Amino acid sequence: MTNTNEAVRYMFYFVARRTFFAVVLLFVVSVFTFWIFSALPADPAALTCGKNCRPEVIEANRVRLGYDKPFIEQYGSYMKGIFAGRTYGEDESGIHCSAPSLGYSYDRHECVSSLVAKTLPVTVSIAVGAFVLWMFFGIALGTLAALRRGKWPDHLATVFSVVGISFPSFFLGLLSVLIFVIWTNILPFPHYVGISENPMKWFTALILPWFVLALLSASTYIRLTRNGILEVMNEEFVRLGIAKGLPRKKLIVKYVLRAALTPIATIAGIDLAFLLGGAIVTESVFNLPGLGKLTIAAVVNSDLPILVATTLVSAVFIVIANAFVDIMYGFLDPRVRSK
Amino acid sequence: MKRNRIIAAIATAGLFFSACGGSGMGAQSGEETGGRSATADGIKDGGTLYVLTFQEGASNLDPQRVYTGAELGAYGSTYARTLTSYVPAAGKEGAGVVPDMATDLGTASEDLKTWSFTLRDGVTWEDGSDVTCGDIAYGISRTFAAEVTAGEGPMYATTYLDIAEGDSDFGSAYPGPWLATAEQQALFDAAVACDGTTITFHLKVPVADFAYTVSLLAFGPVPQAQDTADQYALKPFSNGPFKIESYEAGKEMVMVRNENWNPDSDPVRKPHVDKIIWQYGVDEAVIDERMLADSGDDQNAIVYGGIQPENLQTVFGDDSLKDRRTDGFDGFVSYTMFNNETVNCIEVRQAIWLGLDREALRTAAGGPFTGEFAKSFVAPLLATDYEAATLVDGLNEDGTPNVEAATAALDKAKTACPELHARATGEGLRFDHPDSASWQKNIAIWIDSLKAVGVNIIDNPIEPSKYYATINGDRGDLMRSGWAADWANASTVIPELFGAGGGFNYTNNEKDPNFPAFDEKVQLAKSETDRAKQASLWKELNQVIMDNAWAIPGSATKSQNLVGSNVRLAYQWMPFGWYNLGAIGLAG
Amino acid sequence: MTQPLLSVRDLHVNFGTGEGDVQAVRGVSFDIGRGETLAIVGESGSGKSVTASAIMRLNFGADVRVSGSALFEGQDILAMSEEEVRLKRGSDIAMIFQDPLTALNPFYTVGNQIAEAYAIHHHGTSKKELRDLVLDSISKVGIPEPLKRINQYPHEFSGGMRQRIVIAMALINRPKLLIADEPTTALDVTVQAQILELISAMQEEHGSAVILITHDLGVVAEVTKRVLVMYAGRLVEVASVEDVFSSPTHPYTRGLLNSVRSLDSERHSHLEPIPGTPPSLIDLPSGCPFHSRCLYAASLNGRCSTEVPELKAVGNSFSACHLPTAELLSLVKAAQ
Ligand SMILES: Nc1ncnc2c1ncn2[C@@H]1O[C@H](COP(=O)(O)OP(=O)(O)OP(=O)(O)O)[C@@H](O)[C@H]1O
Ligand SMILES: [Mg+2]
Repeated sequence: MTNTNEAVRYMFYFVARRTFFAVVLLFVVSVFTFWIFSALPADPAALTCGKNCRPEVIEANRVRLGYDKPFIEQYGSYMKGIFAGRTYGEDESGIHCSAPSLGYSYDRHECVSSLVAKTLPVTVSIAVGAFVLWMFFGIALGTLAALRRGKWPDHLATVFSVVGISFPSFFLGLLSVLIFVIWTNILPFPHYVGISENPMKWFTALILPWFVLALLSASTYIRLTRNGILEVMNEEFVRLGIAKGLPRKKLIVKYVLRAALTPIATIAGIDLAFLLGGAIVTESVFNLPGLGKLTIAAVVNSDLPILVATTLVSAVFIVIANAFVDIMYGFLDPRVRSK
Repeated sequence: MKRNRIIAAIATAGLFFSACGGSGMGAQSGEETGGRSATADGIKDGGTLYVLTFQEGASNLDPQRVYTGAELGAYGSTYARTLTSYVPAAGKEGAGVVPDMATDLGTASEDLKTWSFTLRDGVTWEDGSDVTCGDIAYGISRTFAAEVTAGEGPMYATTYLDIAEGDSDFGSAYPGPWLATAEQQALFDAAVACDGTTITFHLKVPVADFAYTVSLLAFGPVPQAQDTADQYALKPFSNGPFKIESYEAGKEMVMVRNENWNPDSDPVRKPHVDKIIWQYGVDEAVIDERMLADSGDDQNAIVYGGIQPENLQTVFGDDSLKDRRTDGFDGFVSYTMFNNETVNCIEVRQAIWLGLDREALRTAAGGPFTGEFAKSFVAPLLATDYEAATLVDGLNEDGTPNVEAATAALDKAKTACPELHARATGEGLRFDHPDSASWQKNIAIWIDSLKAVGVNIIDNPIEPSKYYATINGDRGDLMRSGWAADWANASTVIPELFGAGGGFNYTNNEKDPNFPAFDEKVQLAKSETDRAKQASLWKELNQVIMDNAWAIPGSATKSQNLVGSNVRLAYQWMPFGWYNLGAIGLAG
Repeated sequence: MTQPLLSVRDLHVNFGTGEGDVQAVRGVSFDIGRGETLAIVGESGSGKSVTASAIMRLNFGADVRVSGSALFEGQDILAMSEEEVRLKRGSDIAMIFQDPLTALNPFYTVGNQIAEAYAIHHHGTSKKELRDLVLDSISKVGIPEPLKRINQYPHEFSGGMRQRIVIAMALINRPKLLIADEPTTALDVTVQAQILELISAMQEEHGSAVILITHDLGVVAEVTKRVLVMYAGRLVEVASVEDVFSSPTHPYTRGLLNSVRSLDSERHSHLEPIPGTPPSLIDLPSGCPFHSRCLYAASLNGRCSTEVPELKAVGNSFSACHLPTAELLSLVKAAQ
């Protein structure tokens, strides 16, 4: 049917345009990130130098690491490193980081790309697990609360929201460790193991952080879902659906949830992207070696190469998530598509 | 930044949790040595020892770059053997040095400028190959490589070894093994000469306690074939009873027994456990709760990093923890240096000392558990060389300011040095300090308490990473610092901090008329071979520094620790202010 | 007399709100026969929509209280189980809403939505059958290119087109009663007439009864025979459309007529809004709800403000006014 072809072509342009903007945005973000960090007072050359440091050593390291070069050139080599790899230091003691090179951390003695590669799976494990949980509980409880307004599910949802909003995540994290690990010994102290290594240990290490993170975010989603549903329920088209004689289940799923959850899906996408940038507090409390902890340690040690990289990685996630969410919105909401 | 927020928030949570910890209000800081956990009572070989720490990783595993007391002891006792080592014992005895890879404590020439050691038979690397004299020389040569070791470790190799000055980054003619030409390498090979199993050091200055110097890991061996430059810090090669199986900062380090370590070649180390697992990045509040709960594997755990201030009352108020806790000096002394070139008037220096509210500073840090008011720049742990000095007249014992005495001193300064007096009371004196949260608190106390005396302080916070590099060039009138001895001899304190050319002497005291006599005595002490005589010289010298008020001693800092109930032989090892990690065992 | 299609008796609808009870409908009774057309008129807020919704049990809210009865073919809708009502909705009784822009589900194609309206009440209809039905219904309401249009989404249609789709959807099950709640208010004037015509045509074809709610008396003149006039939740006049226009008996009806420009009459060419505002439904005045705005209330010595007037026969009409019948009739005459 011609109509479908048109829609496909439309979608294609829509996706292509969003992707193009995402790439441009990434470029701008990378320049900006790089510029911000180069403008910070912390001197990356001084950071490579210990207590017995002498100005000569700092200067020599500055030249060796290319921090004496103009900003554009530094940015250029960084970008080139991402695609072609890069060697840090010139003599035999130099260290090669293969593409995609995101810099070298003298504090961690490792290529930043391999640090990211090691920490990212941890963060992804935390984020995705928590995301699934909180979306499930958030939407389920939110829906129940909206449908049984003023009844116990609604009150339960309120309790959840209060807990989620008023308790800081470290507190909930600590409390859960105390209760489940230290006092009752139900779970071992979270100690991250890769899923491919030992799925069971992976699971037991992550279950607490998942629930804590999920509890925190679920409260937001309970509220969003509940309010979204109540709002949609007042929409004329829902009344028309009822007037048509739609069975309740079908009405809730096809009319109410579809309309109420579409905007929530986009918020969720962005939230997930932020979480993928590192769940800083949760990773700290549960001692999970993810991106967030890497970032925090880098902040404490003023480890600029890591900070630049983790900032870029987070930015990439967020830009991609934004583009993805927009495109997805296009699929979910026909009104957006044709604009 | 973040951590502070977490700690602050947990401090409030602490109120909540303390309900279950029993109340122990009023617990006081005092010497506690660990009770049963410091003995071998019921010890059994085998098992896994856990080290819990909030640190994200090792400060550095590279022997030429470790410079943290606790870690020097921990790594030296496990994977990094050196020519000499400290006696593996608690108390004063632990400060003595004994042969390790070497057969004896070395032979010195008459002028104390040539030292030679002979390697024991059977000392091997983790791959079974012999540790050679060349490995030791190569390891030491790495200290010169600014581009790799970057001054992170102690620099005694560059200050002691008889190599001409030159234009490498550390001012030596030798630039380290990576950059050296054949001629430059020859310079080093002449200073550290190998002849079979005998290694000979040629020094440019007489050093009486060189046997202590070579106990530093920086004087330890590295096999050149294994050297991965900066990345050697990820997997150093072991020649001790443990080797590093895996290391991942932010996660864990697993140390396992080194099958190729030959106990007969090692008179110092007596390992008990099979495995040591360091868990990095554990939240401090979580660590305390786990240690207090003492369940499961945590019964086999020790902590690197101490107890949270808000839990000290709980730990030291509960006598059932007597056999698991320690409270003692960690070997550090904090102090404030004067720039004696710009603050060139003892009356002003004494006025500041007298007027400073040291008690408020200690309270800000956490109170008496954090340390005692120092009476020497030598830490009390260095028992041989420690003696409480007579401090400035009128100084309050309890650390509170003596405004009257301070004002009187300042009045004298008006006539003694009108120019400085005018500057101190007018425009003010510049105080350099690292820009950290704790120092923002401290500087406020400085400013307030000295204002009461009439001295103005100009706050000059410096980005922490640049602090030492900055004061190396541009010094203010006052600078903060802290120091611990590099080995159990005040030769690593007094000459370093106050002597001519001392690596850490930022006091500009060379300009003081009393300096020549002082430094003459320092040189004398350095080459004194009679340890007792040397010790009394250090005590005298410490008194001279106090008399001249070249610096203000702050606190002799203390640390508190709690170990799991199965842990044995966890004694405070005096030279390092922490445990002798490799010696720890577990009760069955 | 044959049984009416729908017989509403003493309908009350209360909404509990934070500020108090909103008494939106208070004792409304009327009948409508098969194929008959009935209009409900009245100012905004008079309770027209609430009355209509009550017939389909579409009043929602935290605290809604409905009482009275609404016998549809002898069965009381207000007493039915939720499932029984659902089966009536869309099949026997259909509804057209005021705003076609918001009445359609934006996430599904119009074809899907029309088909759904049929499929709900006709299980097991084949896809092909459904498609044909939808195409047929949509071309009947005058939408060109139905083949293309059924795959489009509501936002791709104009307001008039959307209302046509809503009508197609409402009529696909050949309902016995069609409730059209201001079906043209949101539309262009030119489109309004087309939609009204369409409703009339469809009604003729299907033989449905129609309740047309509007506050536009012009619209009433076009399509209906009988008119209910509502004020503050009560019926104030029930009359044939001719009588309402030519001889309105209730002072409120008269005011209402004065306030609109009649479509087919030159007589009321000037706009003369009723002075004052309708009363609050939470805090209703005593007596006749219209008394504070009524020109004749003063002549009755306070009776209007104390006693609620019941509907009584005045000529051919019914009127809820305390003025004596004779006086009312003479007023009508005077106006003529
Ligand atoms: N769910 C509800 N909760 C509270 N009050 C309501 C509710 N629905 C309607 N009302 C109130 O009932 C009264 C009658 O409303 P209704 O919608 O029937 O008026 P209407 O005659 O249809 O007016 P319009 O011409 O503006 O559509 C109004 O005052 C309205 O505010
Ligand atoms: Mg209405």
